[in-house]
Amino acid sequence: MVTIYIDGVGYEVPAGTNLVDVAKFYADNDIPVFCYHPKMAPVGMCRMCLVEMGSVEKDKESGTVLLDEQGSPKIRWMPKMQTACTQTVYDGLAIRTNTQQVTEAREDIVEFLLTSHPLDCPICDKGGECPLQNLTMRHGPGVSVFYFEDKMHLAKHVPLGELIYLDRERCIQCARCIRFSDELAGDDVLAFHERGRALQIVTVSDPPFDSKFSGNTTDICPVGALTTADFRFGARPWELKEVPSIDPYGPEGANISLSTRLDRDSGGGIIIKRVMPRQNEHVNEIWISDKTRFGHHHTRHIDRLVTPLHREKNTLIETTWDKAFKQIIDKLKGATSVGAIAGPGLSNEDLWELRQLVLAVGGSEKSLGIWPATMSGGEVVKQVGIAKGSNFNTMGKGTVIVLVATDLEEEAPIWWLRAKAARDRGATVVVLNGRPTKMDRYAKFSLRHEYGDAVGAINSLTAHIVNGNHHKADRAEGFAELQKALKKVKADDRYAAAAEAIAGADNVVVFCGAEGVTLAQHAELMQACANVLILTGHVGRTNNGLIPVWPGANTQGAIDLGYTAEATAELLQNPPAVLIVAGCNPVGEDIAAANLRNADFVIVTSQFDTATTAIADVVLPQQSFAEREGTFTSGERRVQRFYAAQGVIGESFPDWKIFAQVRHAIDKSTAKVSAGAVMAEITKSVAAYSAMGYKNLAQVERQFPDVGGTDQYYGGTAYQNTGGIGVQWPVSAENAEAKLNVVPVSSEKSKAKGLLVVPTTLLYDRGMLFVRSEIMSLRIPPAHANFSPADAQKLKLQDGDMVEINLEGASLTVQIIVNETIPAGVITLPKCLSDQPGPFAPMVAGSIEKVAQALAATGD
Amino acid sequence: MGLINGLMTTIKHVLQEKATFQYPEVERPVRERYKGRHALKRYDNGMEKCIGCALCAAACPADAIWVEAAENTDDERYSPGERYAKTYEINMLRCIFCGYCEDACPTEAIVLEHEYKLSFTDRRDSIYTKDMLIDPVPPGGQDTPHQVEPHSYDRPIPDMENPK
Amino acid sequence: MLAEKYAERIQKIFSKYPDKRSAVMPLLYVAQEEFGWVSPEAIEEVAVLCEIDPTQVKSIAGFYTMYSEKPKGKYWLQVCTDFPCALRGADQFHQALLDHLGIEEGGTTEDGLFTVEHVMCLAACDKAPMLQCNFHYVENLDMDKMKALLDQWRADAKDSAAD
Repeated sequence: MVTIYIDGVGYEVPAGTNLVDVAKFYADNDIPVFCYHPKMAPVGMCRMCLVEMGSVEKDKESGTVLLDEQGSPKIRWMPKMQTACTQTVYDGLAIRTNTQQVTEAREDIVEFLLTSHPLDCPICDKGGECPLQNLTMRHGPGVSVFYFEDKMHLAKHVPLGELIYLDRERCIQCARCIRFSDELAGDDVLAFHERGRALQIVTVSDPPFDSKFSGNTTDICPVGALTTADFRFGARPWELKEVPSIDPYGPEGANISLSTRLDRDSGGGIIIKRVMPRQNEHVNEIWISDKTRFGHHHTRHIDRLVTPLHREKNTLIETTWDKAFKQIIDKLKGATSVGAIAGPGLSNEDLWELRQLVLAVGGSEKSLGIWPATMSGGEVVKQVGIAKGSNFNTMGKGTVIVLVATDLEEEAPIWWLRAKAARDRGATVVVLNGRPTKMDRYAKFSLRHEYGDAVGAINSLTAHIVNGNHHKADRAEGFAELQKALKKVKADDRYAAAAEAIAGADNVVVFCGAEGVTLAQHAELMQACANVLILTGHVGRTNNGLIPVWPGANTQGAIDLGYTAEATAELLQNPPAVLIVAGCNPVGEDIAAANLRNADFVIVTSQFDTATTAIADVVLPQQSFAEREGTFTSGERRVQRFYAAQGVIGESFPDWKIFAQVRHAIDKSTAKVSAGAVMAEITKSVAAYSAMGYKNLAQVERQFPDVGGTDQYYGGTAYQNTGGIGVQWPVSAENAEAKLNVVPVSSEKSKAKGLLVVPTTLLYDRGMLFVRSEIMSLRIPPAHANFSPADAQKLKLQDGDMVEINLEGASLTVQIIVNETIPAGVITLPKCLSDQPGPFAPMVAGSIEKVAQALAATGD
Repeated sequence: MGLINGLMTTIKHVLQEKATFQYPEVERPVRERYKGRHALKRYDNGMEKCIGCALCAAACPADAIWVEAAENTDDERYSPGERYAKTYEINMLRCIFCGYCEDACPTEAIVLEHEYKLSFTDRRDSIYTKDMLIDPVPPGGQDTPHQVEPHSYDRPIPDMENPK
Repeated sequence: MLAEKYAERIQKIFSKYPDKRSAVMPLLYVAQEEFGWVSPEAIEEVAVLCEIDPTQVKSIAGFYTMYSEKPKGKYWLQVCTDFPCALRGADQFHQALLDHLGIEEGGTTEDGLFTVEHVMCLAACDKAPMLQCNFHYVENLDMDKMKALLDQWRADAKDSAAD
């Protein structure tokens, strides 16, 4: 801590922090800024933050502060004003922000900025939450010496891609969007063109503004120059009611604000007008991906199911809840076996009630499956999951971030963004995957292994660590066996340097995905990652541990409540007599789910008609995340609340309510009446969730940097976190006494010969919810498969050809892309891009037939 | 004497011009600044003045105005600039005819006119929609929406003068 | 395409810098020499050569005034009209030159030979009025000298076209 003086008052503030942030947080002194943003490096371009600056005079020998006649410290002022945003605090720094000189400087800067800013406020989307508007009201001169006629008139509707529009006139050239895209998102697709008064934002990239984070630039734009195509003219900010919510798509648990308002076109009901980030410095800071921002249209889509359906003479027809319930209850009572598959968007409350129902009618934990069923390792997470209180914000030099078998930007963009930011602060990135991904650009060690050999790669790391005597075995249970097993492992030399970096690091975080591994291999892979972490002592401490890149928003919650992917695999193999599929579409997505047709009676809760509802006997309309309350557990095990934001569509019910009602009819248990009551029961029954009562989850804290609340200059009225920052549950490694299991893992590869089809995850897919956002339709790629040039040549295929790939009895028609980054012998096939189901686990391709020639390049 | 004085007053008033108007046969003209029912104005060429900014709704102390905006295109243009009012409704039961909406309007699109005969038999009829509020197209003008030359109406307030 | 035509020269440029993106400016000069201006296609190609985003190349081409993003005449005449030159009649000279060629400021003559534009200080104040023709200085000008020069350039252009 250091002492600084602001307007004559001394404050104790942390050393090395930015003066603007500190003045705001500790002294409640809003130094106005335009170009500065607390999440980006300062550039000092706009000059709005000019203050008088000086240093306290100290006695040269003793170092004590010299005092003047009044007893306040003597300060040596600099002759000219300085920009506050480019100054980090040091002991004895003094500033004056209330002098005439400063006031005049602010007036002049605002006046200059307004020389060419249009008087658009009435039609501007930013009007009402606009930093320029706010700062003009507060610091502006009121009159201008410049002529109105001299204002420049420029293009007002320049699309930067499909999602973002630029208004050239409004831009005040702060470069926040450019700096965000370039420095934080790593997509340098925006730039300044020309100079002086002709300076403009341009993009000539193809496709333009191709970034998964493009929407964030509209949030940080201090004027209305960047607006989203989605919200354009949707409402005035002061008419919107902000409802705290959680991203329903990704495992990061990004905090969002749903801006809601009544809408005539939707029959006068309350709807989501836009999705904005909500500040949570532990989770997503103030960023969200475009999928989160623009993927909300499913909540009020015209195709939403509004009534229960049941099967009569082989077609689904509308029915009432009473009849549907009766049918379900009859079937469940007499069922010989029951199973459930829970989708990625089910809240903890839904999952709990579904579990209770299945257990009540004779099911066991073995019949509770998750969807997508690609990842395993819940037990490993309980031991060595990332420690409570970890925060990517505090990672930098000394931290090693390891990415295993994951394309993090596509699977969990917010983690990618934060991991990259940590790397920019000095963290080392190690990437282990079968193909290069975007993170490889920033990786110190890019390690390629053969697909299917991810476990072997980690074993190599472990072997290097143990052979090099870098290990600490004091907490490891079963180390002797592991050591014995490792003797057989031939440690690949390529991994030596990375192993050393991991062993020598202060902190290590491992992201473990499931690209190119089967479910069985994934269990081994998670254990292999745990072995590395345990043996190098990177567990149980802040900023250390394992983060599984789960495929869904609440996969962690499902695993905490006893659901497993192994159970799903079993259910797919041997469908039970009565099957409940809640909020997912296995039949339409995975070829392995075709077997589900054989279940006698299938109950599906869904928001839309899917291939899975097509095999259902009863379909129940389910509420989307926006219509109900609940909690999600993020991949960092943070349990977070979301709140009801919009009106209920049709007769839909939340899943927990449906299952509670059914159970009530069967075992006469008291049906819970609110999501909070369900959570109260979870807190009593699940040890890890004992602190997760709704009251605890709704706790908020003041966050640094301060960007929400009454803030005048970081833009947006939605940042303020009123919904709670969530609570993490601790892993066993945090108990210093606890022994941690290290287990030898086999790195056996599949012996099957042929082209290996590896399913990959893309952020923008045709999942049943996301595909309803028409605005994103152009961003979702067509169904395609990536072939290596060698394989394409062998099969006489060309870029753009349509092929039919046969896979274990199913076939899939896709366009091929010849991609140099794909290793020979491998086809990567993104999941959920076509209406036909595809593989969810790597498998060897059968025949590959060309069905259509690539269209010849036209135009030249 | 007192009686005669009293009668004189009566007789004087009998001979004076009648102060009563036989409403509804005869309607008394209102003052120029009378604040009656609102009208949404048009420019001479028929283009709507309203840009859907909802400042009237924000200024309204009775929360009587509901505005939803949408984007103009050159093929379907309602008003100059990018934005127009897709929905514009005033609930006349709520309205207190204070005229704040008129003050708030940046384009002088909403004006409180002299119409005061507002009656309805159903409270739902008290909601006046955009069709009911908007002025007829002036002679020589074109009804909205209509197609215009590309980029001829890009600016929201075409003849806006230097603010005085 | 530049990469084939100037393979050797481009290689030499790259060899001067520690990483490829540093070579952007010299490569833009190569492109400008080749096409007479920095065309969108040229930007695209330089971006591929330097392995950076075309937007970044465009930004550089836009920032520096010696790159032109519009097609120019064979002779690109940049007349300095900054303050010291203006005191010596550069404004009048600039206007007279435009009138003589019958073009607007920044315009190109119909035969595609001359483009005239005014620029900020070229650091030859003592020899004003002056201009820069394809980055070469021509100093102490008046309209008579200028007309003679224009004729000479026209003749040169004819000769080179005849070759």
